[in-house]
Amino acid sequence: MARKMIRVLLVEDEEINRVVARAALKAAGGGGDVVDEAENGAVAVQRVRDAAAPYDLVLMDKQMPVMDGHEATRRIRGMGVTTPIVAVSSDGLPADVEAFITSGADDFTSKPLSKEKLGIILAKFRLA
Amino acid sequence: MAAAALRDQLTALLSSMFSQGLVDEQFQQLQMLQDEGGTPGFVSEVVTLFCDDADRIINEIATLLEQPVVNFDKVDAYVHQLKGSSASVGAQKVKFTCMQFRQFCQDKSRDGCLMALAVVRNDFYDLRNKFQTMLQLEQQIQAYDPKQQ
Repeated sequence: MARKMIRVLLVEDEEINRVVARAALKAAGGGGDVVDEAENGAVAVQRVRDAAAPYDLVLMDKQMPVMDGHEATRRIRGMGVTTPIVAVSSDGLPADVEAFITSGADDFTSKPLSKEKLGIILAKFRLA
Repeated sequence: MAAAALRDQLTALLSSMFSQGLVDEQFQQLQMLQDEGGTPGFVSEVVTLFCDDADRIINEIATLLEQPVVNFDKVDAYVHQLKGSSASVGAQKVKFTCMQFRQFCQDKSRDGCLMALAVVRNDFYDLRNKFQTMLQLEQQIQAYDPKQQ
């Protein structure tokens, strides 16, 4: 049976990380998914607020200008949005993970994103 | 030079980059994403983004370290950025140097930071030269057979 197309919001300020993440998502999801991008947390909150249909997954960077990933996650949860939010950061110490989970993230994965890591995330949230 | 000889040269170059620890499995992942996704210019795009980013960041750090009063938080933010770009392209040696560099930022050691900057600059220039050779070889190979890649 064909897998349904999903809508992903990729929140990341560095272009190189967005390019790699987009390619990894394409490989992990089969290429048919819609991937919107936000270059900081404030834009992410706006994208979620303005989305015509809810996103199926949000991939959230931590350190970004304007608004960081913790604050953006808190604000998105404050809007009553239940979309899975997966924190993505190179700072993978237990305290970093805990801070993201406290902000409202559902899971944490380390940078850089890969096809395998995204495959696990998609399966975990029944999006594969 | 025949295409086969160029391909051998490219294979040898990539092999030496891995064996010297300049790149790691993330770089292999990029090559795999390029092959699987049918996107011939993908590795070149990521490598170019990395080289442009790293060059800019290294210059920013050098300027900050020349100031009479160094803003170590700002230096650390740039090093964090460089570490992220390095990890994305699989530039292992640059990434490891950035990890040590961040410790000097946290210790607020100007001498340590200057030493780490010299090392990271050297690591980056070495890698950039190899990336440039790699991209040139790929272009030459493709010119022989446009269906390749």
